[in-house]
Amino acid sequence: MSSILDPIKNAISVTGDIVKFCGTVLGQVFGGRVFQFFGEALRQSGVLILGSALVIWSLAFILGLTCGIEGAYFNRSTGAPAFSGVFAAWCDLREIIPYSFGYMLSAKVGTGLVAEIGAMRITDEVDALEVMGISSMTFLCGTRMLAALLVFPFVYLGSIGAGYYASYLAVVQQIGEVSSGGYFLIFWMFQNPTDLLFSVIKALSMAFVIVLVGLYYGYTAGGGPVGVGTATAKSMVLNLVLVHVIGMLGTQLFWGANPRAPIGG
Amino acid sequence: MVRAAADRTFLPVKNFLEEVGDMMILTGKTISSALRPPYPYGGEFVQQFLFTFRLCWFPLLISTVAFGYAAPGLQAGNFLVLFGALDRLGGFFVLASIREFSPFVCAIVLAGVAGTAITADLGARKIRDELDALQVLGVDPVKNLVVPRFLALMIATGLFNIYALLFGIFGGMVASLTFNAPLGPFFATLLNNASIPDLWGSVIKTTLFGAIIAIVCCYKGMTASGGAEGVGRAVNSAVVIAFLGIFAFNYAFTQVLLATHPEISILK
Repeated sequence: MSSILDPIKNAISVTGDIVKFCGTVLGQVFGGRVFQFFGEALRQSGVLILGSALVIWSLAFILGLTCGIEGAYFNRSTGAPAFSGVFAAWCDLREIIPYSFGYMLSAKVGTGLVAEIGAMRITDEVDALEVMGISSMTFLCGTRMLAALLVFPFVYLGSIGAGYYASYLAVVQQIGEVSSGGYFLIFWMFQNPTDLLFSVIKALSMAFVIVLVGLYYGYTAGGGPVGVGTATAKSMVLNLVLVHVIGMLGTQLFWGANPRAPIGG
Repeated sequence: MVRAAADRTFLPVKNFLEEVGDMMILTGKTISSALRPPYPYGGEFVQQFLFTFRLCWFPLLISTVAFGYAAPGLQAGNFLVLFGALDRLGGFFVLASIREFSPFVCAIVLAGVAGTAITADLGARKIRDELDALQVLGVDPVKNLVVPRFLALMIATGLFNIYALLFGIFGGMVASLTFNAPLGPFFATLLNNASIPDLWGSVIKTTLFGAIIAIVCCYKGMTASGGAEGVGRAVNSAVVIAFLGIFAFNYAFTQVLLATHPEISILK
């Protein structure tokens, strides 16, 4: 009996640990204590921009291309190729670019944080910080969280741009059944700034959950170099599930009851 | 000065190309040593296969139901309700679920869950010098470690695609029910539009995704280095490369399938 209940008990206790940890990190950031290390936060922002922005945008670009060709072929089959813009606008802004952002962030940033902080933990650098009188929670986790808050809104806007450009290339330049003007007319008609805001909220909730999960698994890593690898793999599993759940909740919340389309009524 | 600038620009490119070349060599070695006798990898193959199943079934279930319910289910359902044509949602699911999102959610989860576990496992063996020890004992690591993982992941990804597809369609059913629509028309249009090329295209695509994941993750695990941070870094870069590889391949495959089989994109 206990063998069946053990995983459940374990899951509940890990969840509790993560929530407690997240509370502490967010307290550091929003309580303002992290600003004593603002320079470190800026350095971490630079690391995020230089190291991650390009791969995030390239994934958004590739998925924008896929959205574009699926949309073009689908709308050709309905006999309305001029309306490829509807498919591209909804697919890109509402679903695929937030998901691609979440996927690449959990792959690149989430696992990167676990590997980095986990290595510090098992080589006792975290304890060394404490000995020197620096709060490791603030210096390692708080600064990285603040860096994520500073950088990701802009990186996400950039990835929307990459996805839009890719869809345009796929529909207008590659398949070529609709003119550039016709595509953009429909494309911009089926979205408005509120949709953009919803999309940003959805993607940023994914981003912050991913960063927190990465920080948690890195900060609590143990068991030597092998332990860091295992913690990295575990954080990826949790992140993927959370990305999909947040994506679903976001869609349900923002567009579930109201399609927000400029037609019908 | 010029030399330094050129190094700075081209060194990453050169490293990247070298890495891709190494992965291609590993692919060739894996395939040739999988086919050439003897075949000592049976037990390891079964073990890896079951390991993948045990690890992936739950994350994949949640992911596909969530994706299927929200992205194609709610968004497309909302759009179709405007035209009073919600029964067409089933037909849309052929495009959305069978052709696109089931394969790629399946590949993402397999890469994120099984692929990272493989890299962490092989990386740990590499930095504890176990792989070198194997070679000293005259055991070929490619034949005994990479081949079973390669085959297991290919077959598991292909099979999991069917599983992802069923749960994706289940998500669509739930979405259809939230619009208070009967399920009969959903399945009628789904089965009308589903075609054999869609299904085999989807299965072949995911099998090849599995091959990409296995090669990238095994390569990164077997070349892990640099002590404590090494294994974590290896997992990190393995999953990034696997994601980019999967989606680039997905785009090329979808384009080829749609262009060569025009009959599958006709709505019935």
